[in-house]
Amino acid sequence: MKTLVLGLGNDLLADDAIGLLAVDELENRLAGRADVVGTSRHGLALLEFFVGYHRAIVMDSVRTLRHAPGTIIELEGGALRPVRIASPHFAGWPEMLHLAHELGITFPPRVRIFAMEVADTSTIGGSMTPAVRRALPELCARVCQAVDQW
Amino acid sequence: MTRHIVIDPITRLEGHGKIDVILNDQGEVDHAYFQVPELRGFEKFAQGRPAEDMPQITSRICGVCPMAHHMAATKALDDLYQIEPAPAARVIRELAYNTFMFEDHALHFYFLGGPDFIVGPTAPKDQRNVLGVVAKVGVEVGKKVIAMRRAARDLISLLAGKVIHPVFGLPGGVSRQVRAEEQERAVQVARQAVEFAEFTLGAFHDIVLKNRQYVALITSPAYTHQTYYMGLVDEKNRVNFYDGAVRVVTPQGKEYARFQARDYLKHIAEHVEPWSFMKFCYLKNVGWKGFEEAPASGVYAVAPLARLNVSDGMPTPKAQAAYEEFFGTLGPRPVHHTLATHWARVIELLCAAEMMLQLAQSPLLVDPNIRNIPTAKPAEGIGIVEAPRGTLIHHYATDEKGVITMANLIVATQNNAARIAMSVDRAAKALIKGGQADDGVLNMIEMAFRAYDPCNGCATHSLPGHMPLLLRIYDPRHRLVNEIRRAGGFTDFQGRGAERAGATEK
Repeated sequence: MKTLVLGLGNDLLADDAIGLLAVDELENRLAGRADVVGTSRHGLALLEFFVGYHRAIVMDSVRTLRHAPGTIIELEGGALRPVRIASPHFAGWPEMLHLAHELGITFPPRVRIFAMEVADTSTIGGSMTPAVRRALPELCARVCQAVDQW
Repeated sequence: MTRHIVIDPITRLEGHGKIDVILNDQGEVDHAYFQVPELRGFEKFAQGRPAEDMPQITSRICGVCPMAHHMAATKALDDLYQIEPAPAARVIRELAYNTFMFEDHALHFYFLGGPDFIVGPTAPKDQRNVLGVVAKVGVEVGKKVIAMRRAARDLISLLAGKVIHPVFGLPGGVSRQVRAEEQERAVQVARQAVEFAEFTLGAFHDIVLKNRQYVALITSPAYTHQTYYMGLVDEKNRVNFYDGAVRVVTPQGKEYARFQARDYLKHIAEHVEPWSFMKFCYLKNVGWKGFEEAPASGVYAVAPLARLNVSDGMPTPKAQAAYEEFFGTLGPRPVHHTLATHWARVIELLCAAEMMLQLAQSPLLVDPNIRNIPTAKPAEGIGIVEAPRGTLIHHYATDEKGVITMANLIVATQNNAARIAMSVDRAAKALIKGGQADDGVLNMIEMAFRAYDPCNGCATHSLPGHMPLLLRIYDPRHRLVNEIRRAGGFTDFQGRGAERAGATEK
């Protein structure tokens, strides 16, 4: 049973680094139990990361404006609806997931998403919101738990 | 008449692509503005940082093409430290770069340009997406695309050192040599790539070129603009993605300028409009005459079509044959039909694959001398590459310790920005009558700018990501009469959002 833990983000854009920081934390902790990978790619370019895995967990930042920064929101990958896209720059998770399904490639049947509500993802070189940084251990703990108790 | 255009900060927060349409007294479109409400910031951020960090920093500008920024920055460092890369390093860089060009073009053609051409411009809306493409070309082809891209990506990781960002570019060379067994793998991937590209060109023939309706659409006046073109060429004026001179041709196809990276500011200037954060590039020596076509206007275009237009041929035999067929069919050179960009992209896909094979077979690839150590004092460096979406320029000035004091980046979408604005304006004028518009208008406008594959995150040097569209129609007194929105939910979920759906609201 191969497990992927994929952290998404951009370490130059303030809170958007959270997924990558979690990767740094989890690489050793999950050694032997999951492949922990970080990337700043997005959209359809993410597809190849998942190929060949049976289980996958995605860690990313999110802005819903409905929760306090630092809140961790768990989503099921399949719950997101696809939309039409105009360019690879605008392609997202749902489009990728549907494509994988349609192609019938070996792709994790279930993907769990741990998204942390963040406040600032547009200040280049900006520092992280304290509430977001404080929630990093909780994010890591929840991902570890998810790996162990799938 | 005074017209007041407001860029709504809420809209900016949400990262919408925003189109404001101003009507005249007769209710017809006076002008349409395609706005990019995002702020630039990377150039400022770079100041005070060591120049050697730039390949790492700028590769984070874009989640789609990190390699293009990494390579432009690396070449700017060569120039900054006045050092030629070691011959082996050049081969390694070029192989990685052509592999990147190959994987990016494959992604765009099948999954992004595909909805218009493979599925068909008149197909029902719910089929005009990635899944429609798969349905049309077949699941096996879809799988082939994924497998091929993965092999290409693995090769890039092997050469460039890291999946998350390339880290191999250093002034005067690269950080890691290629071993003999790795060369075998590279040759193997390159052979697959050539075969894949030939297959793709065949598919384009069967699906697009044999369909008269598609060809009529490509050549229709709605998607045609007479402008100048710009792109890198080698010493024989053939397409080159990695290096060469910048060549500009007139709308009649005559060479207008041919210059080295160092001289770019003598030829390119940036025009500012009050309604966009984008700076619009134009040819300095022709001048800015507004969003007008040639010959008086200095508006020019970059990207696959422009690269073919400025070149006398392709550097590889199979791509050369495809190039001849392209101009034989749509010519003479230059071809002004924006939608022909999709065809040009497939020809470049083949070119990149053939270049991969040539470079992978080079004995220099495994040469252990991968670095020339710089000794010159830094002052100023400029690097230019052809990104998949067109000419990309990195320009840095530093103090004598190599700390950045000024950075200027001109990305492909800025070069194309004026022409994209013209395409959107033309589409709006053709499609919005009496102030009436529907979701179909968005589709047609999207098609106009999709061919350029604009990266507005890159162009404003800010966060790239999902871009919902917002179209607002104003009467001559600037009262909002109609609003069409393709909404976005989450603003910054890299996998992008929940609960997004198209909605039309008044």
